[in-house]
Amino acid sequence: METIFLIFILFLGGAIVTWMAGKLGNIVQDILFLATILVPSYLFYTNVATGYAIDFNVGGIELSWGINAFGWLFSLIVLGLGAFAAFYAVSFMKGKERRGAFYLNFILSIMAMLGILMSQDLISFFIFWEIMTWSSYIMVVYNGNDVQRIGIKYFVFSAIGAYAMLMAIVLIKSMTGSFMIESLISSYTSFSYDMQILIPVLLLTGFGVKAAIMPLHVWAPGAYSNAPMAYTSIFSGSLSKMGIYGMVIVFTTMLSYVPEGVWFRGVVAWLGGFTAVFGTLWAIKQDDAKKLLAYSSVAQLGYIIVGVAIGTPLAMMAGLFLAVMHAIFKGTLFMVVGAIERQTGTSNFTEVTGLIRKMPWTFVAALMSIIALAGIPPLGGFVGKWMLYESLITSDHYLLVIVIFFSSTAAFLYCYKFLFGFFLGQEEEEWAHVKEAPALMVVPMVILAGLTFLLGTYPGIILKPIANGMQTLGYGMTQGQLWDTSIILNEWGNQVVLQPILYAILGIFVFFVIFVTIKGYKNTRYVTTKDISSSGEVPLAHENLTFSQGFFQPFLRAVEPAMRRQIDKYYTAIANGLESLFDFTRRIYTGNGQTYAIFVIVFVVILLIFKNSIFG
Amino acid sequence: MVGTPVLFVAIPLLAAFLIPLFGMIWKESVRVIPGIVLAYLLVLAINLMNYVMVNGPIVEVIAGWAPPLGINLVFSAFSGFLVTLMVFLGLIVWMYSYRFKRNVDFEPAKKYFLLLMMLITGSVGMVLTGDIFNLFVFIEITSISAYALTAFYTGRDSAEASFKYLMLGSLASAFLLIAIMIIYSQLGTLNMADIGSKMHLMKPAYKIMAIIFLFTALGIEAEIFPLNGWAPDAYAEAPGPVGAAFAGIVVKAAIYASIRIIYTLFDLSGAYDLLIVIGMITLIVAETAAIRQEKLKRMLAYSSIGQMGLVMVAFGMGTEEGVFAALFLMFNHAIIKSLLFLSGSYLVYNSKDKLIKEVNGIGKFLPITSFLFVLGSFAIVGLPPFAGFWSKLSVLTAAADSNMLLIIALVLIVSIIEVVYYMRVVNRIYFFKKDESVSTQRPTLNALIAMITLGAIVLIVGFYPDAVTGFLHRASADLMDKAGYINDVLTLN
Amino acid sequence: MDSIWFKLLGVVVSFIVAFTVGMTYMGLSRKITARVQNRKGPPFYQNFIDAMKLGSKTSAIHHGVMQHFGPAFLMVSSVMSLMIIPVLNNGMWFSNLNFHGDLIFLLYIMVFGPLGMALGAGQTGNPNSAIGVTRGLSQMVGFEIPWVMALVALMIQYHTTSIVDLMNIQVESGTWLIFSSPFAFIAAVLAMLGMFRYSPFDIVGAPTELASGPMSENGGKYLFTMMSSASVFAFAKLTLYVDLFLGGASNLIELLIKTFVIYMIPVLYGVVSPRYRTEQSIRYFWGWPTFFGLLAILYAVFF
Repeated sequence: METIFLIFILFLGGAIVTWMAGKLGNIVQDILFLATILVPSYLFYTNVATGYAIDFNVGGIELSWGINAFGWLFSLIVLGLGAFAAFYAVSFMKGKERRGAFYLNFILSIMAMLGILMSQDLISFFIFWEIMTWSSYIMVVYNGNDVQRIGIKYFVFSAIGAYAMLMAIVLIKSMTGSFMIESLISSYTSFSYDMQILIPVLLLTGFGVKAAIMPLHVWAPGAYSNAPMAYTSIFSGSLSKMGIYGMVIVFTTMLSYVPEGVWFRGVVAWLGGFTAVFGTLWAIKQDDAKKLLAYSSVAQLGYIIVGVAIGTPLAMMAGLFLAVMHAIFKGTLFMVVGAIERQTGTSNFTEVTGLIRKMPWTFVAALMSIIALAGIPPLGGFVGKWMLYESLITSDHYLLVIVIFFSSTAAFLYCYKFLFGFFLGQEEEEWAHVKEAPALMVVPMVILAGLTFLLGTYPGIILKPIANGMQTLGYGMTQGQLWDTSIILNEWGNQVVLQPILYAILGIFVFFVIFVTIKGYKNTRYVTTKDISSSGEVPLAHENLTFSQGFFQPFLRAVEPAMRRQIDKYYTAIANGLESLFDFTRRIYTGNGQTYAIFVIVFVVILLIFKNSIFG
Repeated sequence: MVGTPVLFVAIPLLAAFLIPLFGMIWKESVRVIPGIVLAYLLVLAINLMNYVMVNGPIVEVIAGWAPPLGINLVFSAFSGFLVTLMVFLGLIVWMYSYRFKRNVDFEPAKKYFLLLMMLITGSVGMVLTGDIFNLFVFIEITSISAYALTAFYTGRDSAEASFKYLMLGSLASAFLLIAIMIIYSQLGTLNMADIGSKMHLMKPAYKIMAIIFLFTALGIEAEIFPLNGWAPDAYAEAPGPVGAAFAGIVVKAAIYASIRIIYTLFDLSGAYDLLIVIGMITLIVAETAAIRQEKLKRMLAYSSIGQMGLVMVAFGMGTEEGVFAALFLMFNHAIIKSLLFLSGSYLVYNSKDKLIKEVNGIGKFLPITSFLFVLGSFAIVGLPPFAGFWSKLSVLTAAADSNMLLIIALVLIVSIIEVVYYMRVVNRIYFFKKDESVSTQRPTLNALIAMITLGAIVLIVGFYPDAVTGFLHRASADLMDKAGYINDVLTLN
Repeated sequence: MDSIWFKLLGVVVSFIVAFTVGMTYMGLSRKITARVQNRKGPPFYQNFIDAMKLGSKTSAIHHGVMQHFGPAFLMVSSVMSLMIIPVLNNGMWFSNLNFHGDLIFLLYIMVFGPLGMALGAGQTGNPNSAIGVTRGLSQMVGFEIPWVMALVALMIQYHTTSIVDLMNIQVESGTWLIFSSPFAFIAAVLAMLGMFRYSPFDIVGAPTELASGPMSENGGKYLFTMMSSASVFAFAKLTLYVDLFLGGASNLIELLIKTFVIYMIPVLYGVVSPRYRTEQSIRYFWGWPTFFGLLAILYAVFF
């Protein structure tokens, strides 16, 4: 049998078996779950080479599955993060209800994402896209909180995106006579002008929904925060990247052939920029860590979209590198929140504080991911952001650079809020009992956090697959490597100009740490956080000195005019208006037989009146 | 050939008459006989279908009079496909309602199965007949048993629903009769093939009058807006399996009749556009009305109406692709909507008002039924990899090939509405807290088998659409081939 | 590899220079402020005395690991900024570790210190520290906008992201950037007011209100580290301004004169200003300074 089929059969069969295996005991179910994620992944990386493809036929439709270097790059995000999240999930789900359904949809999501990457035709692409949508939908409503609002909003936006894509797909089919992505790309230039505009608009809408681009992002905060955190880490980490994956293909193939592509790039890049700014502002406002990270995901995806939409080799590389990094650090951060929620029962900054001494490893993971998120050297986020800035400046997008810079500076605010809210600040009696999360949860987090460091120091590890993928998309290599275009990379990655700086800095850093702390650490004693300078008085144990309400209030007051209007409210208003309208159409059916009889007569009369114009 | 098409009409009709008689001897026979009959018919239908796929349509002449004078039955790929589907659904409905309630009295069961056999007789007759007056007769048989089944629970509400159905059904009969009279007065024949071949002789004014009355009459049966006032009430008040039978059997027959008339009998190109417009309006009105419903079965009824609107749109495209899409849609709708009605009626089994909010949190108590309902919901809104996706895809592809951008956009927008109300129910089933006052009813084994069979078909067609597309392609080619139909019937001697 | 060691030696030397000059300047500013307010004021070497005193103290208590790391983070950030900025423009001495693109790197590394410091302040559990941190970070977002705009304008105008290149351009053309891109200079100077956190932007560590804010739990060696880091950072910033806008300096004396002139701007502006609330200062930075930043960009794009 073909390995590709075997992979998908294993995924699908494993998903169903795992789902059913609840009665066999939890351990069996957990092992089945992990096996279902890991075995096909192993098969994929050992037996499926890039450039592999297989054609077959379903329902009279030619389908084609295969993998190219670009899809292979994203498969790292999907299967790599998926494997870590799977281990985490086993521990996270211990003792929870409906584990079978969780595992089923987790596996289906991974399978669907891999399927998207392997689809060489639009129909299997769409099928996997929709499987991804509904399996993630079930996860969004899984906890049962506010499902009619958040869940339905997610599904409606997903459906808008998916149906826009479906419309594009059937139009493409009627124009090219084939569902193959290849034939779409090759015949795109021969489309009529209207179609050259309409097709990318529809496709970008479809991908934009998953990539949470403004104004299609309103589902994201609710959906990300409502799903179980073990799932959200792949939801935000990998699933949203499928939108990016599609966008990249649209931008690099179709839109690069026509002059109007410039406009598309400009508009989408600016939308990405606004997404980044407003996502950040709203993230600062949140008091719930899940919501904060959800908005932060929206903002971070904004950066990625900017890079992808600008589309110069460097910008594309920056976007893709950020996409990989975002998967890693945001996946980790959601796991951190999940661990805290599991150990304390809440994820609200205003409730839980001072966990640093109770959950040190979780703190280390959170700290490293936050530093990577903020784009501070030497962790991975820095390299990506650097490339993004550089590409924006070299491609003359000056205002966009300022927008992006504003949003990444403002991101420090919520980064700090996240760390302070959970780990720092007053240590309260209420949380004295909290223990570190189980090892199975901590280890994936710490390994992922370590990856951010590894990729920050040796970005070449992931830049090689990115460069390979970009060559598949038609970015030529003139001389040397693709990443030679960036200043930072040839000084940081290949050559030895910046690395001495890095190590010198580390040396000084270590020197100061030793100088200040070692002696002090031996001689000083640890005191509680109540033992602080407070105007000469000693605060008592029950006095609440926690600062968590109205964090960043002054900043929010300053940006209040920008946040007064919320696009979500407009959508809600439209939805409510439509429901009222539908209530009106419902009243057409009065329930009165006489009215119905009149309808019949009126129908006949209308047909008779207009018979000439109808039947001619 | 192992049988003739006439058996499809004769055997169930005979069975319907014999049920009370055998019931006097052995009470259980009122339940058993319909099953045997339907199983036999299904085997027969499949055999005939295989024959037809190879050898072309079977034209059966009743009483030795050759068409156009005599009455004939046509078992072609198109009508045969529908007959097979109907008989299959009849069998499913029988299996499901074999012991719908655990201890049903003899008397209701006798009536129920008698009426069900009549319903199937009429519907299958409508599809098979090649004669326009016989069409009228079969419609009357179907309607009358449908009225009675609607009022089966003998409550106030079901009586009212049945009365509304009766009222509109009578209007339909009247219009149909007028149309038949016009045609007969002009062409002097009642044979469909003959009418089709002579249609160019008819004066345009008469032609238009005839088609308007025919369209209205069949539109009432086929649930087309604004003629479908009876449908929501009837679906909501009839027993669950009867709702499935309506959606899967009766409406399909009515659609068949209107399509046969427009495609074969008349040659008015405007009729296709009319189908699209009316279908679109039906789709939009029904789906928007469905979203505001409070009763589960009523919601399903509106959804059913909407799907019929979409079928009309697909037929209205007038291309072979469109017909294929419409047939695929009819097939999927018959399977999935039956599944929804069957499982849905267990979800609200013990409730008095059958409200949607009474399914809250029921997923834990009725795991299999709930799962099947959710499967049906996912399938009917067209989520891959379930059956509904392929038909939706084929409708949209056909529309795109006919350059109907607006239609595609509207269908998709309406689909979003459809998604909303189905997902609301799905959310309620699994993710809400159960209301303590609601007691659940476990489905009987035979009902479970019936529902699981339908669920399995949904999955099989979803993963392997080739299982049906071959038949559908033949059937659609058959419908498009008007000259072939006329030829097959009229050259028979 | 010996060039690297040579450079590291340069870093150490410029660190000592920066420490001395920064401390002196801060002492001078205290003196000048006092004189303006008609007080006598401490001697200009008072800061050295303070630093020595603090450095020789030992602490008795600590609040955890992050508190130890906070001041070190701050110091690393200051030193890193200093290492990136060339001190003199003859390219031989104190050119430090600058590289192409250091301007962007600088933008980033300058905000790194405050964040590390904020983490340290957070673990002490003192609510005043946390309040001070939120104010400081908010204000930082405020002044970063005009500051980035000014730098982006320079990058556009001269097509380089290297500080050395900008200095060379000034030497070659003979005009300082303060004249050839005046709006960028105005925006940058207005942003600098916030960077130095003198009045009116001193609400972050307001001594009477917040008990010095982020620093309130730190004493002894911690405070010493912070103080020296602040003076190094002040020198680094002033040198950057001189490098960017005043043509750099060819020897230390010239550097001292130019940096002192720049330094007087925030000091003197602060002496006569009352204190802004946080949102007021943010709005201030997004008003005229941003306007000048935009002008600078327009100027750079069109001329």
